[in-house]
Amino acid sequence: MMSDSWMALYVAYSIVWLGLFSFLGYMYLRQRRIDKDIKMLKEEVSRHDK
Amino acid sequence: MMMNRRKLGTILLVISAVLILMTAYLAIFFAPLPQTGVKSAGEVMSSVEGSKLQVAGFVSAVYHRNPNRAPDMPEHVVFSIADFRDYMRYVQAAEANHLNQQWWTVRPIDVDSYFGGYVVAGTSPDIGWRITAGTNLSVNGIVTSQEIGPNSNVTGFSLARVSGDDFAFGPVGSFGLMTAPVAQKIFYFHMPSAWACYLSFGVTLVGSALFLKTRNHKYDRVAYSSAEIGIVFATIAITTGPVWAKQEWGVYWRWDDMKLVTTFVLWLVYIGYLSLRAAISEPSTKARVSAVYGILSFITVPMSFLSSRVAPLLQSSHPQVIATSSGSLSPQAGMTIGIAVIAFTVLFITMLIKRVEIAESEEELEELKRNIGEEE
Repeated sequence: MMSDSWMALYVAYSIVWLGLFSFLGYMYLRQRRIDKDIKMLKEEVSRHDK
Repeated sequence: MMMNRRKLGTILLVISAVLILMTAYLAIFFAPLPQTGVKSAGEVMSSVEGSKLQVAGFVSAVYHRNPNRAPDMPEHVVFSIADFRDYMRYVQAAEANHLNQQWWTVRPIDVDSYFGGYVVAGTSPDIGWRITAGTNLSVNGIVTSQEIGPNSNVTGFSLARVSGDDFAFGPVGSFGLMTAPVAQKIFYFHMPSAWACYLSFGVTLVGSALFLKTRNHKYDRVAYSSAEIGIVFATIAITTGPVWAKQEWGVYWRWDDMKLVTTFVLWLVYIGYLSLRAAISEPSTKARVSAVYGILSFITVPMSFLSSRVAPLLQSSHPQVIATSSGSLSPQAGMTIGIAVIAFTVLFITMLIKRVEIAESEEELEELKRNIGEEE
């Protein structure tokens, strides 16, 4: 049977991985959304200029 | 330039991921569990002479090895130590003679004076069980801040010399070696997270100061990007710490522990930094006010770091492993923590590059929106 101490270790390591990957994922999605918005606005501006 | 930075970010991300995986492997399979405690009383006494005794927990039992009844045994008295909250559990275990199968909640306490109140829970020909009703004990101005973990193999100190039917305190006998619980390996991620958070807030300080000096918004971007990353690392540190504490101390959190409280304050202060930024809409005011806040709030970093190291603040059971004379790591553990610190430093740089890039994109987007608004 897994001891409480091992379980604590797994829980803590999960917090670390989850925390880091969540933040990296959040940054990736945020960048993608901003890039998409910039692209859309630039297209809109070029259409408007024509 | 942008592509180069992205490439660099990707390379650093791969490096930090490899190092973090390596850390996890080394922490679990390579670094041994530390043994707290010391091999001899003399070893402790030479390092702590002249101070006041601090015992991890209260002296809950005294094993009095009587040299007359067992002449071949060393002449000493062993204290078993546990936390006040475990006192009844301890009494029950002592009565059932199951002391070695129990886990003890422990914490260091200052011991100023001694009082009796023993209850004899059982006897044997050469060992008499005695359980105290209280904590206090006077030890001729000697201090040891050794702590005992609840999963320790040994829960005892030898700290006294038998003197007739009574005992006198003195540097004799041997100290038991105590192996930490497996959860101690949390340390290999907890401590680098704390380091990365201090580093992040340090960068926020520098960025804020440079912004105030030059009024160049690129420093403001670095400052708040770094603060955001610092909060992520601080959150990891203050959530993994209690998971370990539950195993080592028996409780998740202690509001009377300076290290824990100051680190929590640090976390709140930097949450405040981001909230402040969110509350101000005008970019220049936002940058200026948050730069001042970013500089002032850095005071919480040394407060958190030094809270378990500086004498006036020293009310903490938090282990001091790095940069203290009492902290010592095995070479394997030292190597593992070294790799972990490098991994988290590289990860911080990676995240900072990415976060600054996002901040620049956000500003570009805002400017585009403004331009379109003006044209319309």
